[in-house]
Amino acid sequence: MMRLSGRFRAALIIGGQGIRARKLRTFLSMISLFLGVLGVVAAQAGQVIAHRALVASTELQMGVDGTQQIYVQSAESTGSIVMDTVAGRDDAVALLSTNAIIGEPDVRPVNEGGAPLDGSGGGWGPTMNCDPQGNCVDPNEGKPSGQAIELRVVALTGDVRQFRPLRLESGQWLDFGGAPSMAPRLVLNEAAAKGFAMYNVPAEMRFQGATANSTPRFTGVVDDGNSNPQAYVRSDELLNWMPIDVLTNPMFGTPELLAAPTATDFVETLRKKVEALGDENTLYINTISAEDMMPGEIQMMRWVFLGVSILVLLIGAAGILNVGLATVGERIEEFALRRAVGTPRLLLAGIVLAETLLTGLLTAMAAIGAGIAGLAAAGKLFGDRQPMLQNVTFPWEAGVAGVAAGLIAGVLGGLVPAARAARIPIATVMRA
Amino acid sequence: MNEPLIRVTGLTKTLKGQDEPRTILAGVDLTLHSGESIAVLGRSGSGKSTLLSLIGLFDRPDGGQYLLGERDITRIAERKAAALRSSEFGFVFQRFFLLKHLTAAQNVAMALVNGQGWLPRRKRRARAMDALDLMGIAHLAKHKPPRLSGGEQQRVAIARALVREPKILLADEPTGALDTDTGNIVVEALRSATDRGCGLILVTHDHDHAAKMQRMLHLDHGVLAPAPTAVRA
Ligand SMILES: Nc1ncnc2c1ncn2[C@@H]1O[C@H](COP(=O)(O)OP(=O)(O)OP(=O)(O)O)[C@@H](O)[C@H]1O
Ligand SMILES: [Mg+2]
Repeated sequence: MMRLSGRFRAALIIGGQGIRARKLRTFLSMISLFLGVLGVVAAQAGQVIAHRALVASTELQMGVDGTQQIYVQSAESTGSIVMDTVAGRDDAVALLSTNAIIGEPDVRPVNEGGAPLDGSGGGWGPTMNCDPQGNCVDPNEGKPSGQAIELRVVALTGDVRQFRPLRLESGQWLDFGGAPSMAPRLVLNEAAAKGFAMYNVPAEMRFQGATANSTPRFTGVVDDGNSNPQAYVRSDELLNWMPIDVLTNPMFGTPELLAAPTATDFVETLRKKVEALGDENTLYINTISAEDMMPGEIQMMRWVFLGVSILVLLIGAAGILNVGLATVGERIEEFALRRAVGTPRLLLAGIVLAETLLTGLLTAMAAIGAGIAGLAAAGKLFGDRQPMLQNVTFPWEAGVAGVAAGLIAGVLGGLVPAARAARIPIATVMRA
Repeated sequence: MNEPLIRVTGLTKTLKGQDEPRTILAGVDLTLHSGESIAVLGRSGSGKSTLLSLIGLFDRPDGGQYLLGERDITRIAERKAAALRSSEFGFVFQRFFLLKHLTAAQNVAMALVNGQGWLPRRKRRARAMDALDLMGIAHLAKHKPPRLSGGEQQRVAIARALVREPKILLADEPTGALDTDTGNIVVEALRSATDRGCGLILVTHDHDHAAKMQRMLHLDHGVLAPAPTAVRA
C-alpha cells in the first residue's frame, strides 16, 4: 500500500513536471483532439436530447414507458363492456372520444371536422353523419357559419394523468373524486383554449346522437401535445346527458384504454369479454417502450456524426502519438537517467501514459465544457422556435462519452511512446 | 579485512558489432571494499564503460559471477535491479545529464522521486540541500543548469548520486568535459565520499586523477590488471 502510493505520487510529480516543461506542446496536441471529443459529445448529446424530446411528446400523446395501450374494436356492445370492466379499477382508464360542437346554437363550426384553428391542418370539411348503408349527410347542412368550434371530447373513466402526464397550464385538472356535476366540467387543451379565446360565445355543447344539449364549464387548460382542439371530461358527467353509444360512435374512432404494466388480470378479463362477442372482435395491445422510440433518421444522423467524430478523434490521437513520440525521443536522456537512478520501467511507461491520458482528460473536460456552454447558448438563441432546446440540461451520457473518447485517444496516443520509454537502454545512452 | 562490497569474477560480455560479435570483456575480476577507491584506466574502446554498466546493473554479463555482499546478482531481474540501483549505487557520467527544466535542488531531489519508497517534499528538499552543501554549492540550489558552469553542474550531478547515500559510487570519466582545475575539484569531491565509507570506482583517462585513488587498474584485452607502475610515476 505504502509502496503503491509512493509510486503513484512519484508518477504524479514526474508527469506534472513533464507537462509543465512542455505546456505549449501539450496545448497544441490538445487542439485536434478537442474537435474530435467535441464531436462525440455533440453526437451523444444531440441523440439523447432528441430522444428525450421524443419520449416527452410520446408520453403526452401515447403514454409513459410500460403503459399498455389497448384498443377495442368497436362493435355494438363494446362501450358497455369497456365501462363495466374498467369500473372500480385504479390501474386502468378508458378514453372514449367523439366530436362535439361548442358555441352558438345552430351554426356551422368555424373548423369543420375539428381541424386545427390556426388553419395549419387545412380545412377538414364537415363531419358527416353516415348510416350503416353508407349514406352520409352533413348534420349542419344549410346552417349558417357561426361562432362555434368543433373539437374532440375525450371522456375519461379515471385520472388519465398517471399514464399521460398532461401538463396543467392554468385552472384545475378534472376532479374524479366527488359526485358528477350536471354541467359537464371540461379541461381544454391549448389548441381548444386558443380557439375559445378567439370566439368567446355563450356556449352550448352539441354531440351527434345526443338527446339533449348541455352547457359545459371550462375548468382548466392542459398541454397534451396535440395541435387539434381537444377537451377532457369525466365520462359520468357526459353520460348524464347521452347514451354510451354516442361516446363509442365508430365514426370517431375506437375506444381506447390505458392500463398499468401490472394490470394483467384486467387485460385478460377485458379480452375474454370482447372475444366472447364473436371471432372478429379482439383487443389491440401496444406496450409503450421508451427504448424503441428512436426514429431511423435520428439514428442515421447520429451514426454519421459519430463516424466523422471518431475519425477526427483518431486524427487527434495520431497528433498525441506524434507529439508523444517526439517527446520521448527528446527525453531519451531523461528517461535513461530516471532508470539509472532506480525508477522502474513500468513506472516510466505509466508516467508517459499518464501524461497523455491527462492531456486526453483535460481535452475532454474542455470539450464537455464547450458542449455545455454551446447547449446553453443554443437554448437562449433558438429556444423560442425549437421547444426541444427549451430548458434542456446537458445529458450525462454525453459527458461520459466525452471522457471515454478523451481517455481512449490518450491510450491510443500514449501506448506506443510509453512502450518506447520503458525500453530505453540505460547503458547506450549514458556511455561516455 | 571486512566483507567486500562487491566481488566480480570471470565477468564476460560480448557485444554484437556491425558484422561479427566482439568480446569486450573476457573474464574480469574485481573486488571493491567499503571506503575503497579504485581507478580504472584503459585506452578508448577497451570496455571501461561496458564494465561499469555491468557493475551498475544497467546491463547483465554473459558469463562469470557478480556478488553484491553475499548476494549473487549475476542474472538479477530488471525490477530488482532498479531497486538496487536506487538503494546501493550512485552514478556520475561524463555528461552531466541534468534536467534543464528543473533547479539544481530539484535535479538532486529527482533521485528521491523514483518510485522506490516515498519521502515528503520537505524531507526531499532537506536531503537535497545537504547533498548540495556537501559539494559546496548549496548557494546554487535555485539555479537551473543552463546558468551553472560545467564544474558546478558536475557537482550537482555528484550530489544527485550521493543523495540516497549509496554504498557504491560509479563514475565514468566525470572530468572528461572539464578543465584540469575543475576536474581536480570534482575528483576530490568524489574521493571524499570514500571517507564516509562509500566504495568508489573511477573510470578516467587522467593519470593524475587516477593517482589519487587507492588502487589503479588497467583494462586491456578484456581483462583487468594492476596498472603498470611506470604509468603511475
Ligand atoms: N551497443 C553496442 N553494440 C556494439 N558494440 C558496442 C556497443 N557499445 C559499445 N560498443 C563497443 O564496445 C567497445 C567498448 O566500448 P566502451 O564504451 O565500453 O569503451 P570505453 O573503454 O568506455 O571507451 P572510451 O574510453 O572511449 O569511453 C567499443 O569498441 C565499442 O565500439
Ligand atoms: Mg567509456
